[in-house]
Amino acid sequence: MSRKLFLFLTLIIVTVMLVGCAQQPAATQAPAQEAGGESQAPTTGGETIKIGIFSPTTGFAAADGTSALQAAQLAVTMINDNGGIMGKKLELIHYDDAAKPDQAASIARKLIEQDKVVAGISGSYSGATRAAAPIFQEAGVPMISAYAIHPDITKTGDKIFRVGTLASVEGRVGAELVGSVIKGKRVAILTIDNDFGVALTEAFKAHAKDLGLDIVLEEKYPLGETEFRPIIGKIKEANPDVVYATAYYNEAANFVSQAKDEGLNATIVGQEGYDSPKFIELAGPAAEGVIITTDLNRDSDRPMTKTFLEQYKKTYNEDADMVGASAFDAVQLIAYAIKTAGSTDADAMVKALMALKDFEDVATGPFYRYTPEREVVRPIDAQIVKDGAFHFYHEFTDPDLITP
Amino acid sequence: MSWMQNLSNAMVLAAIYILMASGLTMVYGVLKVLHIAHAAVYTVGAFAGVLIYTWVGNFWLALFLAMVISGLLGIVIYRGTYFYMLDSPRTVPLIASIGLYVMITDLLQKDFLMGPYQRAFPAQGAGLPRIETRFFTLTPKQVLILLVAVALMALLYVVLTKTRIGLGWRGAAQDREMAASVGVNLNRVISLNFFLGSALAGAAGVLVGVYNNSVFATMGDVVSYKAFIIIVLGGMGSLPGAVLASIILAVAENFLVATVGYVLPRDAIAFLVLIVFLMYRPHGLLGKE
Repeated sequence: MSRKLFLFLTLIIVTVMLVGCAQQPAATQAPAQEAGGESQAPTTGGETIKIGIFSPTTGFAAADGTSALQAAQLAVTMINDNGGIMGKKLELIHYDDAAKPDQAASIARKLIEQDKVVAGISGSYSGATRAAAPIFQEAGVPMISAYAIHPDITKTGDKIFRVGTLASVEGRVGAELVGSVIKGKRVAILTIDNDFGVALTEAFKAHAKDLGLDIVLEEKYPLGETEFRPIIGKIKEANPDVVYATAYYNEAANFVSQAKDEGLNATIVGQEGYDSPKFIELAGPAAEGVIITTDLNRDSDRPMTKTFLEQYKKTYNEDADMVGASAFDAVQLIAYAIKTAGSTDADAMVKALMALKDFEDVATGPFYRYTPEREVVRPIDAQIVKDGAFHFYHEFTDPDLITP
Repeated sequence: MSWMQNLSNAMVLAAIYILMASGLTMVYGVLKVLHIAHAAVYTVGAFAGVLIYTWVGNFWLALFLAMVISGLLGIVIYRGTYFYMLDSPRTVPLIASIGLYVMITDLLQKDFLMGPYQRAFPAQGAGLPRIETRFFTLTPKQVLILLVAVALMALLYVVLTKTRIGLGWRGAAQDREMAASVGVNLNRVISLNFFLGSALAGAAGVLVGVYNNSVFATMGDVVSYKAFIIIVLGGMGSLPGAVLASIILAVAENFLVATVGYVLPRDAIAFLVLIVFLMYRPHGLLGKE
C-alpha cells in the first residue's frame, strides 16, 4: 500500500509541475511548442515593412499579452491609415509566447529567420524578454521591450531598447511620492516576491533612507496570492500611515479590498502594476484614494495620449492600460526610427533612437531622450483613484529623480 | 488583529477548501482517478455564475444554475473520457484529465468565451448581513461562504448516508465490482457522483469568484494542486478527512502568515503540512489502510 501511496504522490508532484508551470513566469519546462503565428497584415499586396511582436495571449499572462498586442496593432493601423512609412505599409507579425522563456526564444528566431522582421517588440514579461533579447542582439535586429522592466534586458547589447521605466527609477520616485508629496512618516512595505517587486522595493528603500522615512514593517508575498487578511493584521499592528505595496492589478485588487474590509486606514501607494482599468473594476470602491506611480497620465492633454486612449476604447471597447500604451509606443518608436533613418538598416535605426529628443508621438511620453544604456528618460506621473478612475495627482520631472 | 479574527478568516478559507476538495474526494472515492479536470469544472462554474448573475441579477439563481451546469459538465467529462478508461491503469485517466484541464482552460480563454481578462463578480454578500462581535468581524461575503458551505455539506451528508443513491455510492467506493454484482447500477451511480461532485466544484468557483471579485480562465490552477494536497492529507477518498484537512491547512496557513509573515508562500506551507503529516500518518488523517 505504501508503494501505491508513493506512486500517487509522485503523480501529484508531476501534475503540479505540469499544471502549475503556468504560475511561474520564470519557469522553463514544457517542450517548446510550435507557436501558432498569426500575421495581421493589411491585405494590400506589394512590399511591407515587417515588425515582429511576441506576447502571451494564452496562459496566466494572457490579459497583459492581449493588451500589448491590441495596442501595437492599433498603432500599426493608425500609421498605415496615414500612408504608412516611406510609401510602404507596416505589417505586424505576432506569435504567442505564453510568457515562457523557451517559447519566446524560438519565436525570436522564427521572427528573424523566417519572417525577416526589421525590428522586434517584446509585449511579454521579463523572463521571456530576457530569453529573446540575445537572439535579436546577435542577429543585429533592434528590439524594444514594451513593459518588461528587468535591468538585464537592455544590458544585452546596443540593439535592445526599453519603453517602460526601470524599477530602480520607479521605486525611487515612489519613495519621493511618499516622503515629499504625501508626507508620510511611518511606512510599511509589502513586496511581491519576483524581479519586479524586489527591484522596486530596493530602490524605494534606498531613497526612503535619504528622506528619513521610518520603515515599520517589511513583508514579501508570492505572485498570485489572493488571501491578504493575515498579513493585513500584521500591518495594522505596525500602524503605518503609508503602505508601499508592489503588486500586479489582481493582487492589488485583492489586497486593497481586504485592507478595507479589515479596517486598515493607511494610504496605499502602488505603481504601474496597478495601472489597469481592471484594478478599479475588481477593487470597486476600495480602490478610491489609492495612489500609484506610472507612465500613463490619463488626464494628459498631450494629443498622442488622448488619441491613443480614445482610439483604443473605440476599437476594442475596453479601456486602455499601461501595458497597452507601452506596446503602442514601441511601434511608434520603431516607425520613428525607420522614418528618421530613411531605411530599415539596423544601425541607422539604432542611431536614430539614440539621437531622439523630446519625442511627443508616444502615449506614455514625452520621451526626453535615451540614455547610453538605452533607457528612456521621461517624466513620471503619480495618479490617484477618484470616482472610479485614475486621475492626475503629481508629476515628477526632477532630472536627479527620473534619470536612470 | 486578534487571534479570533484570524481564526474566523481561517474558517472562511477552510470553507472554500472544503468545497474545492469535497467533489474531488467523491470522484476519487468511486473511480480512484485523480480528476485534475475538476479544476476546469470549478472555473466553468464561476464563469457560468458570473454570466447568469450579470443577466438576471439574482445571486441565488446564478449559484443554483452554475451548479447545475457544472454538474452536467462533470457527467459529460465522465461519459466522454473516464468511462472508456475504467479498466486502464490509473495513469491513463490521470493523463487524460490533465490534458482535459489544459484544453478547457485554454478554450475558456478564447475571446468568444471568457477572454483573457479578469471579470468582476460584484454580487457582494448577496444581501446577507455583516456580523460584528467584540472578537471578530465577518463581512457579508464571508457570511455567504460559510453559510453556503455548511448548507451544501449538510445536504451532501444527508444524500450520502440517508438515501439509496448514497448507499450505492458508498458500495461502489468500497468495491466497484462487488457493488455491480449485487445490482448497483454502476454507470448511474458514477454519473450521479460526478454530477454532485462537479456541482460542488461549481459552487466553490462561484463563491471564490464573489469573494475575490474576480473570475478568470486560469483561476482553476489553485484547485489543481491545493485540492490534491487536501485529499491526500485527508486520506484518499475520505470526506470527513477532506473536511478536517481543509481546516488544518487553512488554520496553519493563516496563523503562520499572521505571526511570522511569509517565511514561505502559503502553498509551500500547505505542502509542508502535508509532508509532516504523511511522515506520521502515511494514509492520511482518516484514510484506511
